Amino acid sequence: MEFGLSEEQRQIREEVRRFAEAEIEPHAQAYDVAEEFPHEIVERAAEMGLTGSYIPMEYGGAGYSILDTTLIVEELFAVDPGIALSIVASSFGCEAILEFGTDEQKARFLEPVALGEMISGAAISEPDTGSDVSSVSTTAERDGDEWVVNGTKMWITNGTVGDFFVVLCKTDPDAEGRYNGFSQLIVEADRDGFSAEKITGKLGIRASDTAELVFDDVRVPEENLVGTENAAFLQQMHFFDQTRTAVAAQGVGIARGASEAALAYAEEREQFGRPIGDFQAIQHKLADMHTKTEAARLLTYKSAWKVDQGEDITRLASMAKEYASRVAVEVANEAVQIHGGAGYVNDFPVERFYRDAKITQIYEGTSEIQKNIIARELLGKGL
Amino acid sequence: MNVLVTVTEGATVDDEFRIDGLAIDDGSLTTDLNEWDEYALETAVRLAEADLVDEVVTVTIGPEDCEGTIRQVLAKGADRAIRVWDDALERSEMLDVGAKTALLAAVVETEEPDLVLTGVQSADEGFMATGVSLAAAVDYGWAAVVNALEVDPDERIARVRRELEGGVEERTEVDLPAVLTIQTGINEPRYASLRGIRMAQRKELAVRSLADLGLEASAVESRLRLRELAEPESESEARVLEGSSEEAAAELATVLREQGVGR
Repeated sequence: MEFGLSEEQRQIREEVRRFAEAEIEPHAQAYDVAEEFPHEIVERAAEMGLTGSYIPMEYGGAGYSILDTTLIVEELFAVDPGIALSIVASSFGCEAILEFGTDEQKARFLEPVALGEMISGAAISEPDTGSDVSSVSTTAERDGDEWVVNGTKMWITNGTVGDFFVVLCKTDPDAEGRYNGFSQLIVEADRDGFSAEKITGKLGIRASDTAELVFDDVRVPEENLVGTENAAFLQQMHFFDQTRTAVAAQGVGIARGASEAALAYAEEREQFGRPIGDFQAIQHKLADMHTKTEAARLLTYKSAWKVDQGEDITRLASMAKEYASRVAVEVANEAVQIHGGAGYVNDFPVERFYRDAKITQIYEGTSEIQKNIIARELLGKGL
Repeated sequence: MNVLVTVTEGATVDDEFRIDGLAIDDGSLTTDLNEWDEYALETAVRLAEADLVDEVVTVTIGPEDCEGTIRQVLAKGADRAIRVWDDALERSEMLDVGAKTALLAAVVETEEPDLVLTGVQSADEGFMATGVSLAAAVDYGWAAVVNALEVDPDERIARVRRELEGGVEERTEVDLPAVLTIQTGINEPRYASLRGIRMAQRKELAVRSLADLGLEASAVESRLRLRELAEPESESEARVLEGSSEEAAAELATVLREQGVGR
């Protein structure tokens, strides 16, 4: 058993940490307050290759593994989750093109994303389709050599800044079985009939762009179909291990950022004539926070490593996602508590971590769904 | 045309530190690529990207521990690296400018670069002399504290700008081969890209001993001896300015003027 990172992985981690501390940290508060997408920072991140770390070298990426990507995600989220998500989500949807797309689609879409010239998005959720993905009602109908897309997508990351979206559509309304009859289509944002409206007022990750997308008779050519017609549900499920592990890494990053901030503050802040870190009540909080973070990290690393080995790890990925997101929320909560009044205003990053942490228990399958999956796998029940 | 960049791993001292005999306690030190060398490296990589230079080679004097920093340099665009180390250096109490010059001069003689770029200084030792001393040893032209550079490979000339005291700027032409010591701010150094980090693992990192360089141990004997390391006593004085805002402001202006702020 080997718990160490390779020299190369340590270098990735250190360089991403340098980037995050110098390029993200000083601007985190401003983008959060303004609810503004950090274009300039995403461009700098793209120069470094952070927008397409897993995209293969031949398409302009770095070809890094899921474990390597996990390290990157943790470093970025430990500094600011909103800007971090803006960076790592700039290739959302591309995993489907990489796995199931044609060579032509890969050349056309993956390379510009890896180089930071385009931003992508994945459009799955709808106003009435959250956890129950099989209830997607956005339709795509064939008309000659085109697809005509109609419907509304909700909570779409990069909705108003994305250049194209991989959209989950119902393509065979008569298909039998609730998982059949869906297809993934690439829809470019400049197609007629496409519109996006930014969703503001989010609790956290406010720098990240979220929008409602409306498809009103949007026509795309048939070559925009990703993978196999009517097989999108299975295609989509293929990535759950990977995407849930990525959210687990986000949780680890948030927990680490919050626990480190709390430790620093406890050493600095004095009450009753000594640093508050001298008090056992605070010491025990810090001990718990750092222990939980480490446990979440190991679960996440194992999940990522297993994905890289090509193993099917539904249960482990759900465990990592559920646990790490819960730890993020708990640790951020304690970090604010240690900061006292100072943690209740946005002068310190823990106020942001507290708000940002919550989303990790909601997106990519809520904690409740993750527990259902874990139990289902334990009890040997099918889908 | 080839460029050799001298790169050192420098130590930064934490705000609170402990002196342990003739050294600062390891626990209060963070090591990283020396800041000035980062600018020198960026200068070289940009020359290569502009096709003015064929190969960028770096040389570092240091033990195996600093290979992480060397890989970082390779990740930022150097083509290959040389690390010089030897048991004799391990035993040496201190590497002075003369010793470093002897080692680097031996590397320059084998590599025969057209241009050697060094940082103006290292942040931790601050001799501020290695580059110029190296130029003298290998009989290259030199310019120190360079903050802008143009290279003309056909004319074999480096056109440099140097900032002098009092806001004066000097433009100098140096015939190649030359050693230039590079000032911070000449460019904006890049982060190592993920692709760069990936490719750096496969680049050549050659280790050279004194014997490899044709040097005797006596060549690196230091003429300097470190006698003591101490933290200066610091004094602070606070003065409270009283009275109305206007009075306090006027008083503050007087104090600042006395201290030489403003005219």
